[in-house]
Amino acid sequence: MLPEYYQFHHPTKVMYGEGLVGDFAHELEELGVKNYFLVSDHVVDGLGLIQPIREGLAEAGFRITGEFYDVPQDASVEAVESISRQAKDSGAEGLIAVGGGSVIDAAKAANFIFSEGGDLIADYSGAATLVRPLKPFIVIPTTAGTGSENTLVAVIYDVANKTKLLFSDKFLLPDLAVLDPLMTRSLPPGLTASTGMDALTHAVESYVGVDASPHSEALAVAAIKNIFQYLVRATKNGDDLEARGGMLIAANMAGSAFSHSMVGCVHAMGHAVGGLTRVPHGVANAILLPHGMEYNFEVSKEKYAALAPVMGVDTTGMSVDEAARAAIAAVRDLLRQLNALDAIPVRLKDAGVPHESLPAIAEAAAEDGTIVYNPREVEAEEILIHVRNAY
Amino acid sequence: MAVFKNHEVFKEVIVGFFNLLGDTPQVADRLLASKMVIRFIYSDPDLAVVVDCSGDKMDVRPDDMDTKVIVEMSMKADIAHKFWFGKVNLTMALTRRQMVAKGPVPKILKLLPAIKPSYAMYPKYLDDNGYAQYNIH
Repeated sequence: MLPEYYQFHHPTKVMYGEGLVGDFAHELEELGVKNYFLVSDHVVDGLGLIQPIREGLAEAGFRITGEFYDVPQDASVEAVESISRQAKDSGAEGLIAVGGGSVIDAAKAANFIFSEGGDLIADYSGAATLVRPLKPFIVIPTTAGTGSENTLVAVIYDVANKTKLLFSDKFLLPDLAVLDPLMTRSLPPGLTASTGMDALTHAVESYVGVDASPHSEALAVAAIKNIFQYLVRATKNGDDLEARGGMLIAANMAGSAFSHSMVGCVHAMGHAVGGLTRVPHGVANAILLPHGMEYNFEVSKEKYAALAPVMGVDTTGMSVDEAARAAIAAVRDLLRQLNALDAIPVRLKDAGVPHESLPAIAEAAAEDGTIVYNPREVEAEEILIHVRNAY
Repeated sequence: MAVFKNHEVFKEVIVGFFNLLGDTPQVADRLLASKMVIRFIYSDPDLAVVVDCSGDKMDVRPDDMDTKVIVEMSMKADIAHKFWFGKVNLTMALTRRQMVAKGPVPKILKLLPAIKPSYAMYPKYLDDNGYAQYNIH
């Protein structure tokens, strides 16, 4: 059945290629500005990943007016304000973010003040607050998970009020995303696995969510196929550039899928686990994904059954129920393979979640903003059963 | 052409409906638990209404532009009217800029299940209070 209404808006140009970070500058010509401020972190710089970008831009006549490396693990309001101020003072006309989700989100949010001035929280926290495009924004991801280079959302931590702020606007979408597998080659197995499972969660949840559309479903399916093909390989051998590239593309497509169709109860539980016990987002989602699929089984089984062959299951002769169960089993199996590589835990207790926190996790999950998009109503008592199963 | 022809009629309708929600425990209890304070800024016709759930009962204050609110939502009066029939997907409306939200959007999304019963209440409220001509059948 087709949705009554949907739209698909994807203005971000996506480029993929090995070694592309040193050779993408000609794409900036059409953006009309020459001076860029670069945002990254010390780890990425320490790995020598920035140098080819600097050289490629300089060779093509572009100037990096300044660089900022102090983005904390959770992108903060202070970092966002520093980036926008330093970028402005340096005479930059556009921003380039090189990093994972925090770096990308910090630069994305900084573009509000850098382009339009004003106060980050008072003027832009919320949805659809902008009326015109921001200054040019280029993203080069160094993880394959968040897909933030392809989403209209930025999440920023307000340290003073201990709260996460959401910024959502179509004008936040970057102008250009450069996907280069050389940029993720040094990602350690643990981060490769958890960020990859985060991308799988984006894809599965956007595929079964209430706002799924033919466009988002197509991207989600393609992302899932890539993740099942490449995630174990990329985790096992970081130098496998085909697997690294496949995962970058998967995360990018999953990002676009969930940017349009959102996520559901797995993210609700994951946010609760992260908020209450500080388990990293990707790890929490990885552990909880099969359990969230179980929670939605009755309402989503046709869709799970359709995903089973994409996950590599031979569904010949299977009923819908059997194929749907096989899809969940495939996700569990993927998680077990990653666990066998010592890359990720499969149970909440192994991730350090205290048993006594489970009821609070279920309560917080039932209050999370993402439950609106889940295909089944989220009740704390029901969720608690699945959180306990994940323990 | 706008559904509501003037400010006075729209104000009566929307403020009366918010007050009805405040008197309906099934809806009001969950809104009060959220402690949300929200200002709706409507256009065509223009109107501002603050719905304050920070106290023991819901306080609906038309023309209040002074209160410091948690969330401010702007939209055309026609969109608000359609919303209360359950005919507007909030996230799609935000994406299409039919609504603009300033503040913590997830807190608003969390309230959607709480206000679900109001979609059935709105048409009945219009019929019962002499606004049947605005009903969508």
